[in-house]
Amino acid sequence: MLTTTTTGRPRRALAVAALLVAVAAACLVSLLLGSNRLGLGTVLTALVDRSQDVGDVVWGSRVPRTVLGLLVGACMGVAGAVMQGQTRNPLADPGIFGVTAGAGLAVVIGLYVFDASSVLATLVLALVGAAVASVVVFSVAALGRGLSSPVPLAIAGTAVSALLIAATSYLVLADETTLAGYRIWVVGSLSGRSLTGITPALVFAVLGLLCAVANMRSLDTLALGTELATGLGESLLRARLVGLAAITLLTASAVALTGPIGFVGLTAPHLARALVGGGHRWLLPASGLVGAVVLLVCDVVGRLIAGTAEVEVGVVLTVLGGVAFVLIVRRGRMARL
Amino acid sequence: MTSLPRRTALAAAALAAAATLASCSSGPTADAADGSSGSGGWEFTDDTGTTVTLDEAPDRIASYSDYALGLLSLDVEPVAVFGRVDVASDERFAEYPEAADIPVVGNSYGEIDLEALAETEPDVIVVGLYPEDREGTLALDGPRYGLADVEQQEQLEAIAPLITVVVGGTGSDVIDNFNRMALALGAEQSSVDEAKTEFDAAAADLQSAAEESDLEVTQMYADASSGIYLAKPDDEPEMELYRSYGVDFTDLNPDDGNYYWDIYSWENAAQMMTGDVLLVNVEGFQADDLAAQATFAAHPALVAGQVHAWNQVAMDYHSQAGHMEQLAEILRSSQDVNPA
Repeated sequence: MLTTTTTGRPRRALAVAALLVAVAAACLVSLLLGSNRLGLGTVLTALVDRSQDVGDVVWGSRVPRTVLGLLVGACMGVAGAVMQGQTRNPLADPGIFGVTAGAGLAVVIGLYVFDASSVLATLVLALVGAAVASVVVFSVAALGRGLSSPVPLAIAGTAVSALLIAATSYLVLADETTLAGYRIWVVGSLSGRSLTGITPALVFAVLGLLCAVANMRSLDTLALGTELATGLGESLLRARLVGLAAITLLTASAVALTGPIGFVGLTAPHLARALVGGGHRWLLPASGLVGAVVLLVCDVVGRLIAGTAEVEVGVVLTVLGGVAFVLIVRRGRMARL
Repeated sequence: MTSLPRRTALAAAALAAAATLASCSSGPTADAADGSSGSGGWEFTDDTGTTVTLDEAPDRIASYSDYALGLLSLDVEPVAVFGRVDVASDERFAEYPEAADIPVVGNSYGEIDLEALAETEPDVIVVGLYPEDREGTLALDGPRYGLADVEQQEQLEAIAPLITVVVGGTGSDVIDNFNRMALALGAEQSSVDEAKTEFDAAAADLQSAAEESDLEVTQMYADASSGIYLAKPDDEPEMELYRSYGVDFTDLNPDDGNYYWDIYSWENAAQMMTGDVLLVNVEGFQADDLAAQATFAAHPALVAGQVHAWNQVAMDYHSQAGHMEQLAEILRSSQDVNPA
């Protein structure tokens, strides 16, 4: 179990409460600040009365990106925590199960064959791609040394990812139209996206969260090592399948809404672990909350540093997330996983 | 994580998009010599000041697609073409049936099939270069436009010497320099004169269309994550040229220090909604996508349906004549949607 930190229940509850406050604060900041330097009063008036929202800046841009940031940040945070728990690999990212690569290839095929770029189409494609990739990875690992060790799963994931990325590159290079669409899609960003079509993504995200919740006990047991977990009566097949379902659903929903956004899934669980310890009953919700805060705050930073333009949150995350991750690694917390 | 390569890819894409239209105010072209075959040899000094010397005048020319189009318009047929986009489906080649037989040795930025290129045995290879700033600074150490890197450029140079077309300065400078090169590469003066006649007629027509219509034209590129890129007429040779014929391009911050573009996030879209006609780059958002952006949907030109896909066109007389006719037609069929 990941409980080397002796975190008491009240302290954990307090940490989660503090995270909830942080999420609320991040939402507020996300609504108030942007590349269009509207005054506080202007934003508040517009929020209350949309007819006062000149140019639809608040309702047309800030509200949707705040909602998306919350949802996608939470999805990525929880997915990251499940991934790291499943693989017992502190550096696990959405790439490790081939999920992102599968989603990416499916989206490119959609652009290439059907010229499909709506949120719904992207979602369905990303979901199918992520699911197919997950199943392939899972089967390859199961056919080999089995599911007892996270290593075959990671190796199979890496191999399948490489194959999928090669296929994606081929399609992208073969067709300029696809390339243009892919280029825009592949830079993770909360900008310029509307809430139209968010409902299906929301449904899949909720399903993913339910799977993650169902996987919590198994993740705790898996942390003891698979032999001990099996000894405790854990069904490895079931534990892996539910975990994969959670990762696939959460990643595909997030990816369909905003494009692939890195580092949230990687760093949020580490930050959360520092706050609430390694037990997944607390770690999963805390990772989701941290993910939402990190994504929203990084998005706001990107809006404020480029004059009338903005820097994509994916780029901000690469810089800030990278630094944060190095700090986490240096502090040695990952050694406890 | 792949965010960094992604960023690089985007930067390259933005640069490529910028470069497709970029310019400078003073090219190092004034002292460039015409191609000459005096004393048996052939010599040509290109826009970068680089002199190419050959034993005899070249007749096998490989070219980047834009200049290949210009050469074709002057009846010079290249032996190989490479482009930033799929040449076979590039509509700009449609009017040259003979182009269908020219080997295509590259269909994507930085992707050139060196073996296929070498097989065509070119005498020279024509490439382009865009300045880095309004002063016309040229990155002569870096790879030419359309090439992946310096290493690839060296591989090209091992096949045949490069002639570089600088797309900077005023529009007419770029065209003049192109003609100078085309003549050195075998074009007939009569072909150039003929193309000039066509160009002059189109220019006169554009001028009268601009006077009649009195509309503000916005040239832009847009996508979801980066927002709106508003092209600056001072930095784009084609826009500079059309402005000299009276076309009124949106130019909100001529002297803000940004080169080639001003970028507006979607939140700031309202700041650039002054145009009556939108010319939107074919590689980015089109009318439907723009209408889906809440903060842009109210743009009067968009509401009036005055949005036109705008492709990049080579800087030669014939290509420009066609583009000017297109713009004149757009101006004549558009209304003033921002009455003063």
